[in-house]
Amino acid sequence: MPDIAISADKLTKRFGKFTAVDEISFEIPYGSIFGFLGANGAGKSTTIRMLCGILAPTSGTGKVGGFDVQAQPEQIKTVIGYVSQRFSLYSDLNVIENLTFYGQIYGLYGINLQNRIQEVLSLTGLERFRQRLAGELSGGWKQKLAIANAILHRPKIIFLDEPTAGLDPLSRRGIWELLYQLAEEGVSLFVTTHYMEEAERCNTIAFISDGKLLKIGQPAALRQELHDKILEVTCQPLMKASRLFLKVEGVRGVTVYGTTINLNVTDEKIVEARVIETARKEGITITAIKPIAASLEDVFSDLDSGRRSDA
Amino acid sequence: MRSIWAIAYKEFIQISRDRRTLALLIIMPMMQLMIYGYGINTDVKHLPTYVYDQDRSYLSRRLINAFTQSDYFTVKERVGSLKEAYASLDKGLAQSVLVIPPDFAENIIKKRTTQVQLLIDGTDSTPANVALDASQAIVSAFMQTERLIPIQVLPIDFRPRLWYNPDLKSTYFMLPGLIGLVLQFLVPMITATAIVREKEGGNIEQLLVTPIKPYELILGKIIPYIFIGIFIAISIITTMHLLFVVPIHGSIITLFLLTLVYLVVCLGIGLWASTIADNQQQASQIVMFFAMPSILLSGFIFPTQSMPILVRDISYLIPMTYFLKIVRGIILKGMGFYDLIGQVWPLLLMAFLVILFSIRRFSKRMA
Repeated sequence: MPDIAISADKLTKRFGKFTAVDEISFEIPYGSIFGFLGANGAGKSTTIRMLCGILAPTSGTGKVGGFDVQAQPEQIKTVIGYVSQRFSLYSDLNVIENLTFYGQIYGLYGINLQNRIQEVLSLTGLERFRQRLAGELSGGWKQKLAIANAILHRPKIIFLDEPTAGLDPLSRRGIWELLYQLAEEGVSLFVTTHYMEEAERCNTIAFISDGKLLKIGQPAALRQELHDKILEVTCQPLMKASRLFLKVEGVRGVTVYGTTINLNVTDEKIVEARVIETARKEGITITAIKPIAASLEDVFSDLDSGRRSDA
Repeated sequence: MRSIWAIAYKEFIQISRDRRTLALLIIMPMMQLMIYGYGINTDVKHLPTYVYDQDRSYLSRRLINAFTQSDYFTVKERVGSLKEAYASLDKGLAQSVLVIPPDFAENIIKKRTTQVQLLIDGTDSTPANVALDASQAIVSAFMQTERLIPIQVLPIDFRPRLWYNPDLKSTYFMLPGLIGLVLQFLVPMITATAIVREKEGGNIEQLLVTPIKPYELILGKIIPYIFIGIFIAISIITTMHLLFVVPIHGSIITLFLLTLVYLVVCLGIGLWASTIADNQQQASQIVMFFAMPSILLSGFIFPTQSMPILVRDISYLIPMTYFLKIVRGIILKGMGFYDLIGQVWPLLLMAFLVILFSIRRFSKRMA
């Protein structure tokens, strides 16, 4: 088995004149979690659909599990698992019936199927809901059922389209623990998400915007790459300060949090002095000011604003 | 092949949990049977009749008797003036009014021609026609029994006889037709909504990334509805035979096999509707859109022979037109497969075309 689970080489999809996915390239090894980030309509779902073999690319190539997305979509379907954003199992079938049905679709029968269902039930903790109708499960358990369903046929590659969207923090953590467990078993996970703190949990992340791949790399590396430094200012009144600080020379961006303001700055030493000076003149009370490490959200907003000013 | 059964099995579970559809499947055919069996009676009997007898003679009473004894007319009231007689028709109290002139008996005895008038409410053509035909027969029989005309040897001894349904019972005609009507309505409806439900519920999205092929999905989805269609047909035929005592003259096996062919056409229509509709409501609207003209144009109520040529051509495009001839032919006339070949091949052709067309359309929409 090759080390690369999923690869894309200048993968492109055009719908008429509209380019949904524009020459994106990446490689994902087995046993890793690949976070695919981007705004709604950035091209995430189109990319997933091409890689799953249900949408033919306009140009470029993609390989999933060693099969070509253009020429061998049917083979791809046998080696991947898929968890859609919207719950798409049968609400009027119970947990066991859903798993039995999909197991049979993937060619599992009899005792093999029963054993495998038992395995995925204990892995996901769904055992106590065996007879529960899928439609009556809570959001988090529904998603776990969808994952249980996706791994029935022991795929080495799983696509998850926003698996934690709309879930409470506890359920989200539960889902991620499950994903880590799968990754440890050598499964390659392709995950799209909106949550930045989830992106931190991925081995590799890629940003996509307007169909173009903006950035790809490890979360820590991406944070370090960020040219700007972040200055965290605790001050009062907050909104007035945020407006004024934006005009200070050397401040490239301002983000307001609960009681603090994060300033994207070029040079923290010089700007810090200027900010304190401005605050003193305008009657803003600064209780603390310190440089902090950039978060992925900062990286993301920087990339996004960079793109907008380019355009 | 095993995928097909997996889908059929899960479909059966889903149907068994869907109480509303189950109720529809059982109640609707039975309700239709009761309505057409008990409620709608197109046999015209006992027309309410008012009599204005100005003669009040022995002969006039005999004539009135002849009318009532025929069972076609029931004397509701005797009136004393033409005005009252007309009013009874206007108000809809009477369907017909028999007017006997004052010199009725006298004229007959003196061997002069006399007049008797029957006014018929022609608003509804069916009872009006019956009243017209029956009254003529009653009067000519009256003339013979009263020896008003000499008994003669007629050059033609004309003896019409009614075959297959000698008592002209409308249930004999309507109830076998009901098999066609109910199947054509219910089967496409449940098939289309079942397929569209997968689309609505997002299930198709999950199925798309599995190795299942479109034709496997379609066949698996259809199989349970073939059984349901057979169940509906059997329940209608049994009730019709046992409760309404409609005799079945032909072969049950031929009936079963040809009903299967018709069922495939109905499934195909449902399948096709599902490829157009985006939700269950649209699907049932499309099915209704095609079911309504079929009821009127297929010969279910009105005979196709009396339709204008253009309309009759349209009726040839309706699967139910052929199936009605088949069920009525087998049940009432005892016709065999070869007698019905003219009806069978258009149905087979339709079944083949509609299934082929829908599967191709479905596969395209899935991709």
